Amino acid sequence: MPFWKREKCDNIMDVEDVFSSRLRIKILKILVQVGELNVSEIARRLGVNYNTTKEHLKVLEDEGLLQHKVFGRIRLYRLNEHSPKTNAIRNLIEIWEQNP
Amino acid sequence: MPQYGSVFKDETKLDITYIPNRLPHRDSELRLLTEFFSFILQFPTKMAQRVIITGDVGTGKTVLSQRFGADITHEANKLRINLRYVHVNCREYRGSLFLILHHVVSVFHPTFPKRGYSAEELLRILLQILDEENAYVILALDEFESLVEREGSEAVYKLTRLQEIRSNKPQRLSLICILRNLKVVEQLDASTRSTLQSNIISLEKYSKHHLIDILNDRITLAFKPLAVPDDTISLIAELAFSEGGNARFGIELIWRAGKYADAENLDAVTPECVRKAVSSIIPTMRKSDLASLSFHEKLFLLGIARLFKESQKAYISLAEAEQAYAVVCEEFGAQPHSHTQLWKYLQTLSAVGIVEKEVSSAGSTGRSTLIYLTRIPIRELEKELSALLEKGEV
Repeated sequence: MPFWKREKCDNIMDVEDVFSSRLRIKILKILVQVGELNVSEIARRLGVNYNTTKEHLKVLEDEGLLQHKVFGRIRLYRLNEHSPKTNAIRNLIEIWEQNP
Repeated sequence: MPQYGSVFKDETKLDITYIPNRLPHRDSELRLLTEFFSFILQFPTKMAQRVIITGDVGTGKTVLSQRFGADITHEANKLRINLRYVHVNCREYRGSLFLILHHVVSVFHPTFPKRGYSAEELLRILLQILDEENAYVILALDEFESLVEREGSEAVYKLTRLQEIRSNKPQRLSLICILRNLKVVEQLDASTRSTLQSNIISLEKYSKHHLIDILNDRITLAFKPLAVPDDTISLIAELAFSEGGNARFGIELIWRAGKYADAENLDAVTPECVRKAVSSIIPTMRKSDLASLSFHEKLFLLGIARLFKESQKAYISLAEAEQAYAVVCEEFGAQPHSHTQLWKYLQTLSAVGIVEKEVSSAGSTGRSTLIYLTRIPIRELEKELSALLEKGEV
């Protein structure tokens, strides 16, 4: 989908760094569950403030795991469907949730 | 689902949300509506259409639009045109343009946030989405009166004109405005009116013969063979005809009559089941509509009903209704609410479709609000309200 954008970043993080944050894992889990969400709603579901949420979203987007789309003042985030890493994460979370 | 000992084969076919494949006695209107939108299948980018469908309660406005929506979407998909038909009941969204547009946006982005922008921004966002997805929307605004009442000309102007002023961009949003009475359109300003009024489809009331055909169609789908005798169908058609040719009333009645037949373990729906069903329905208004009103809205409506009953007048003023309400409050030991609050209650009652209101400016002393009770039997309304209030269902 050409209208979904992804910030580019040259520094690739190690997997342990990406997953070292509970909030980042929770963001991924939320987006696997609901598809796409705006920043404020993600922050509300995480129970943290807007800026903290934005920082974590940026990390995940820099890693190519998320993409965003801008509608006026609204920025919607979703998983980057073209990333094999995202597919792996989606599988992990879905299997985890289905087998408590 | 077939049930043991039931007269029904599939009662969902009698639900208000069911869209039948065939619309008896609405073939020509369906063809006309399809003709108005035929360009979408050939040159979708070139224009946007606006059509008004008007007619009394139960004349098939909603089902006509929905049948058309399903058919044209199917045809468009075959041609790989990304067309969506979105049907919105404006009353359910309290006549708010913002909420209506949010519903349309949520068809494409289900979790789109509900706060943080205006209706106009939302309309621009919708057009952005449609551009990006190369999609087209036919937006059916059912109970259009509700939108005009709350938002006036401005909302309709935005819906019709905003996309027209976008330079060199395809037309994406077409409208079907569904309303009971064209008088509502007269409230709009001249330019908005002119963009809406070119294509009008007026649905005439159904005759008894038409109603029999409609009922027969639905009964074949919903009931077991021979479960509904001709006598019963004829009686229901007669009742629906006396309700202004209201097919919806007839369909609801046959469903209720079927329930009475099941409750009494009968093999067939007898005319007696219909009579019992009639006494349980307040025509054109569900009891749930009344039950969902607040305590003071019920008191206010009871005051209005009593005043109509006593005065035998065609309409009453808000001031008269206020006095009647004060008396009812005294009877139920409640402190009367203020004039402003009552005015809000009147908006709610009007939006729900229980009363109709009109602002009169003919007198020399300024504007006054007039209240009409056109379609609901006053005795039934008073009885139902009194029962609800006495039961303490507030």
